[in-house]
Amino acid sequence: MNMRALTDGAREGAATAVPSSPVPPAVTQPPRRRGKPRGKPRVSLLGLAMLAPSLLLLCAFFFAPAIFTGVFAFTNMSTSTGIGKGDWMVTPTLLRQLRDAGLSEADEQAISAATYVVDAEHIARAEAGGVDGRFLSDIEGRLAGQTYDNARDFERDLRALPSKPRSARALKGAADHFASSVLNRRYATEAAFAAALTGVAPGLSPETLSLVTERAYTGAVFTVENFVTLATRRDTLRIVGNTFLYVGLTLGFNVAIGLFLALSTFYLPKRVGSVFSALWLLPRITPVVLYATLWQWFTWENGFIYILADTLGLPTYNYMKAGVTSAWTIMILSNGFVGASFGMILFSGALRAIPVQQLWASEVDGASRLQQIRRIILPQLRWPVLFVTAYQTLSLLSSYELIWLTTDGGPGTTTTVWALDAFKTALWAYSGEFKYGLGAAMALILVVVGLTLSIAYLILFKFDDLVGRPKIEF
Amino acid sequence: MTILSHTMRLTLAAALLGTTAAAGLAEDYTITVWSGGTGDSANYRIDNIKLAAEQMMREAEIRGDELSITIEGQSWSGWDEFKQAVTLAAESGDAPDIIVSGHEDLGPWSQAGILRPVEDWVYFDQWPLNDIYPNLIDVATYNGVVWGIPQDAEARVMFWNKDAFRAIGWSDADIDALPQRVIDGDYTLYNMLDDVYAMQEVEAVAPGQGFMPRPSNGPDYWQFYQSFGGEMTDAETGKLLLDTEALTGFYQFFADAVAKGVVSESYLGGNWDDWHRAVAGLTSGAWHGGSWHYAQWTRSFEMENFFDNVQFTLIPAGDENGRANSITHPLVYLMGAGNTEDEAQIAADLISIASEPRLNAMHAVKSGHLAISEAEVSVPLYAEDRWLTEASEGFLPYVNAIPNDADFGTYWTAMYKGLENAWTGTMSVEDAVETVKADVTSALGDKIIVK
Repeated sequence: MNMRALTDGAREGAATAVPSSPVPPAVTQPPRRRGKPRGKPRVSLLGLAMLAPSLLLLCAFFFAPAIFTGVFAFTNMSTSTGIGKGDWMVTPTLLRQLRDAGLSEADEQAISAATYVVDAEHIARAEAGGVDGRFLSDIEGRLAGQTYDNARDFERDLRALPSKPRSARALKGAADHFASSVLNRRYATEAAFAAALTGVAPGLSPETLSLVTERAYTGAVFTVENFVTLATRRDTLRIVGNTFLYVGLTLGFNVAIGLFLALSTFYLPKRVGSVFSALWLLPRITPVVLYATLWQWFTWENGFIYILADTLGLPTYNYMKAGVTSAWTIMILSNGFVGASFGMILFSGALRAIPVQQLWASEVDGASRLQQIRRIILPQLRWPVLFVTAYQTLSLLSSYELIWLTTDGGPGTTTTVWALDAFKTALWAYSGEFKYGLGAAMALILVVVGLTLSIAYLILFKFDDLVGRPKIEF
Repeated sequence: MTILSHTMRLTLAAALLGTTAAAGLAEDYTITVWSGGTGDSANYRIDNIKLAAEQMMREAEIRGDELSITIEGQSWSGWDEFKQAVTLAAESGDAPDIIVSGHEDLGPWSQAGILRPVEDWVYFDQWPLNDIYPNLIDVATYNGVVWGIPQDAEARVMFWNKDAFRAIGWSDADIDALPQRVIDGDYTLYNMLDDVYAMQEVEAVAPGQGFMPRPSNGPDYWQFYQSFGGEMTDAETGKLLLDTEALTGFYQFFADAVAKGVVSESYLGGNWDDWHRAVAGLTSGAWHGGSWHYAQWTRSFEMENFFDNVQFTLIPAGDENGRANSITHPLVYLMGAGNTEDEAQIAADLISIASEPRLNAMHAVKSGHLAISEAEVSVPLYAEDRWLTEASEGFLPYVNAIPNDADFGTYWTAMYKGLENAWTGTMSVEDAVETVKADVTSALGDKIIVK
């Protein structure tokens, strides 16, 4: 740009930058009323039809999971209870627990009794159940009148019969028709269970019956226990602390580096700036698994940093996994670079929206680059900075996948944050005990924190002003 | 309609009917097998099912039946992702027909109704199931029901670097006597700390690598609880048991190991391949792992002359309350619920045949696991394997398993979290123990005894 052009431009810029020019504003109509237009709102069916697919997707992939999470959070749902409806079942383990809850020994024996009776009634039951006729007549002919107190003895005698079925399942299925026992049997409904229980132990009091029925349910039940656990367990505070530290430091890195990149590429010649911008986009556009693998190559044993440190005589170890400080550094940097490129794009866009004439004018006035940034650029980047801060806070709070793939919350649990802990509680456990209810409660808390922060940011943003009608008419 | 076309129609109809009838007679089954914790050397967990299917189809052919079985196998090298996959698939009604998993899953999975009890489908007093070691059948039993067929057995033990011992003045006779001294309680975990520290001092092993424990969670860590006198269940009531004194001893031992500089505070969560390379390369003085690791080190990590370089013993006692011990963590063939009765019967027959000694011996020898039955020990392939023979004789009499209990997972997760806290110094040993106590009491109430 030659000096002449700069000077002309600076003049134009100066004119644009001063809104209080003597030219009166082109107001030709009275300001419109704010608020709802009068009369019946127009509803376009076509509009609704166009919206329908996105509404459906929203319901299926956002509202439904959020509602499920909310409901699960108030249950004790886990691997043991299963996700759907449970059954009613008495097991030796349950009987032992019931003894602790006050079940008498006599009642326990009555409930756990298992008898196999070969009489006309049970033979008829077996016949109705489809047991092979020849086998049944063998049973009737040779075992009628017998009573057994365990399955093994009865099955042994059945296997001695000439017409016994070939498969174990058929024989044991036939034996089942002669049984009077509730032990280790699943009942799909409470009524069926209560009837079977009363059948084997008719002397149970209504209170005992009710206690056994309640405790025999294998499915999940509603409870607020998850929130009590979270409020009282010792780990909670540390994980919350980790989360704040992680979000705070990563956010700071994101915004600062994003801003720095946007400004430096802004001042670079356009082509060079574009190349740099594209390079910084790599962390964002690389698939997260590949990105994590790159970090592993970079920081693990015999990786780049390892070899570099070895050459320089510095301590060498797996920096991602085997050092608390290095693990934290890597967690913040790896997440930070992804966020920094996001900030860079937004800030660059916002920078391009600043009328360049203002900068020309400032240069004419002798402003240095730093003064330009401080006095002209930063004040006009307030909204983008606030937006990136808000968006990234929410995003960082709920993201765990990169931490999971890199430090995995370690060493120990030193880099474990709330979202990662929620995921591991609900869906990732070496022991196989997934606590869906507790994990959902943790996720629900995250949703509540996210919503609260969103509202706080909306107020901070003065969202009403942002989306309100412009104060001047165009 | 002409006579010809009428005949043709009839012929066509007959042909169609014939095809349909043939298709109806031929029984086609697709059986899915999912296997967890299964690395490259453990391929026979699934391949034996394929061989069993081949056998079943040939037997059916001899009987004059038409039977076609297709096996669709899928294996996971880790446990977390495998258990997640099985649980979620089962909850959505799509459980695999055969699941190869740890026996500790019997508790929660049977309660959730995602398993079929295998005892309803096979006879345990018939060959080959009647030859399986009774203690392994017990391990596959929960609530008095046999839910699975043992697939393998193992011992988790301590390995020692012989050269490093020689470097601190041990004679070969001393090294040979170590296994018995460990059994007698004459050589404890704290003796080990002193010795590996000395090995570091004379630079026989890399600094900070004197002791290289398993880098991640596993049943192995319960061994150190037992070394300090801990029991996982109460013998009298059968309930889970948390012995705070033993847990304190266990956590304190690892905190002491860190303080002594023989293992780093940020060691847990390390990379498995790095660990294998280090121990197979003998850069450590002592490390603990499983009997199957022998197969990995010798096959994949170029370890040579294992017996010249490595001594192996039980996990030593920690103090006078504890005992030298080893945990076996048998995998079991389980039957997923949700399939048809016919498919379930095929699955049951397949896992029975796959348990035959010759088939299981291939898995045992290739993967470094121990035999499941008496006859398997006599299979030449197995009998000629020095490692398996020595491991079976040296460790099997002393092994025990973690309990089958629907709530054990909660206890286990809390135990490991506590270990991480004490190890990394995030909490003092006392606080870590108190945290475990608070966590299990709050989650399990009177289902666990705390003493």
